Amino acid sequence: MRKRSRTVALTILGAASFAVAGCREEQVDAQAFPDLASCQAEAANGGLFTAEECEAAFAEAEALHVEAAPRYESLEVCEEQHGQGNCGSEAEQVSNGGSGSIFMPLLAGYLIGNMLGRAGGGMAAAQPMYRNASGGFTNAARTSSFSSNSGRGTMGAQQFTRPASTVGKAPMSRATATSRGGFGSRTGSRGIGG
Amino acid sequence: MQKISLPERPDWRQTARDAGFTFADMHGEPYWEESSAYRFDLRQIEDDIEDPSTELHAMCREAVAAIIASERLMTRLGIPEAHHDLIADSWNRAEPEIYGRFDLAYDGKGPAKLLEYNADTPTSLYEAAAFQWQWLEDQLANGVLAEGSDQFNGIHEALVERFRELFPKGTDLHFTAAAGNPEDYATVEAMGWAAREAGMGAHYCDLDKIGISAEGQFLDGEDRVMETLFKLYPWEDLLQDDYASHIVGSGCMFLEPAWKAVLSNKGLLPVLWQMFEGHPNLLPAYFADDVADALVASGRADRAIADSFDRAADAMRRGHVVKPIFSREGASISIVENGEVSETSPNTDYDHHPRIVQAYHPLPEFDGFRPVIGAWIVGQNCVGMGVREDRSRITQDLSRFKPHFIAG
Repeated sequence: MRKRSRTVALTILGAASFAVAGCREEQVDAQAFPDLASCQAEAANGGLFTAEECEAAFAEAEALHVEAAPRYESLEVCEEQHGQGNCGSEAEQVSNGGSGSIFMPLLAGYLIGNMLGRAGGGMAAAQPMYRNASGGFTNAARTSSFSSNSGRGTMGAQQFTRPASTVGKAPMSRATATSRGGFGSRTGSRGIGG
Repeated sequence: MQKISLPERPDWRQTARDAGFTFADMHGEPYWEESSAYRFDLRQIEDDIEDPSTELHAMCREAVAAIIASERLMTRLGIPEAHHDLIADSWNRAEPEIYGRFDLAYDGKGPAKLLEYNADTPTSLYEAAAFQWQWLEDQLANGVLAEGSDQFNGIHEALVERFRELFPKGTDLHFTAAAGNPEDYATVEAMGWAAREAGMGAHYCDLDKIGISAEGQFLDGEDRVMETLFKLYPWEDLLQDDYASHIVGSGCMFLEPAWKAVLSNKGLLPVLWQMFEGHPNLLPAYFADDVADALVASGRADRAIADSFDRAADAMRRGHVVKPIFSREGASISIVENGEVSETSPNTDYDHHPRIVQAYHPLPEFDGFRPVIGAWIVGQNCVGMGVREDRSRITQDLSRFKPHFIAG
């Protein structure tokens, strides 16, 4: 009798793949880029997006960055969440007069979804990406994590929900920035496996 | 059991990249290594690995019942007193186990010996269940392996079947692991694939994104209530966390269940030896406190186990391994032979935990590497196997995963 499975799933898709698991959410082809230039270089090589789409998406991600980046009350709290050297003040990052005492992570890439005209109405085809504290990347709402800011895959359309504005809201303190996280105090960079 | 050199698949690195298997090389060393493979015959697989492992799991279930009935044993296993009830309740409610991995010493001839049971958070599931399987299919197609070669690897199918039998179709299951660790994540996603194939809704949430509602329910990163949570995070750590006090009353069923805390614990090994002394797949094992004097000098072992220790004393003095009750990836383990420490792990992360001693059973050596058999349990049966090998006598986190096949 055969001792092995007839079929197995060979592919590791990344955290976003779980969202489509129940087949309740639409899937979107998406690609991440560290900057505009890398998107345009790929466009020239017949990538998923054209140079114009790269530019429009980059502009949208930059606008969302200004509007919805996580905002913190101190550089220390921001760097705890996003890693050292990955934050700057609002004044440095927002052209028309941000505060020098509110801190935001630096834009570290952007994610473009092939929304086929579905953008708008609470959706945005592009999302800013930020460094997280463990060396990966996260989105503005800090609800997803990505291992890299370049690469291509299929993910749930909810990844492209427009993030809530943080402009004019109280910036997060250490307590609010870590209001989740009652589990995992003993995880490090090391795997837990045996 | 032989180690056989075979041509590598020319494109396997690309296959690994395409599959998202990003840790096929780790720390500059190959982790997945297919320039050779282990060959077994069907009798070795079925009589020496599969059936004994299924039996070992059944013995472990008996040990759980014994440990949970004894406050003294629970304490010796380092279970915080505040959580004894949580663990006992999860056993009494018969919360289901999904998977586990026995680490066995086996040389192809004598009975396999249990080194430890990774019953709570075993990793390398993706490599064993999927990537290893693809290797076999590819090498059959390439003509590298003879037609009819097989592999002991029904892991994925058994997981699908396990989820199907436990949960009604369409049940929402959540999966969590520490963020930013691709090895752990791959195991969780391999599990998620199986759940999805069984018709479940599978949702992932980073461990540190879990929140708690005003009603005391656990929430995922998008504020959805979690009713069933597969966590690749050890119970001994979970029970130390701030949220541990919310587990009772959260209405959330954890997988693996809390009772696995007493199996994925080297304190299990002396308990098994007391219950099943002389079993061919077990090595003599004792709590270090009970036998320390008897091991180093002419002192006596603790009265309760003195007779048993006398029967094993020669073997134990010849060589034994000292292990903390909690330890992963070979950390804080030493081998003592004839009273001298002959090998010790450079990683001392777990040094502060209580210890056990287990009779030393050397791993076989093939071309300078020592393989450990990982026998996978799904539900209550052994359904597959993976082999990891290491140059060192203590298998550590730099060990390599080797494919295996069955022929003859």
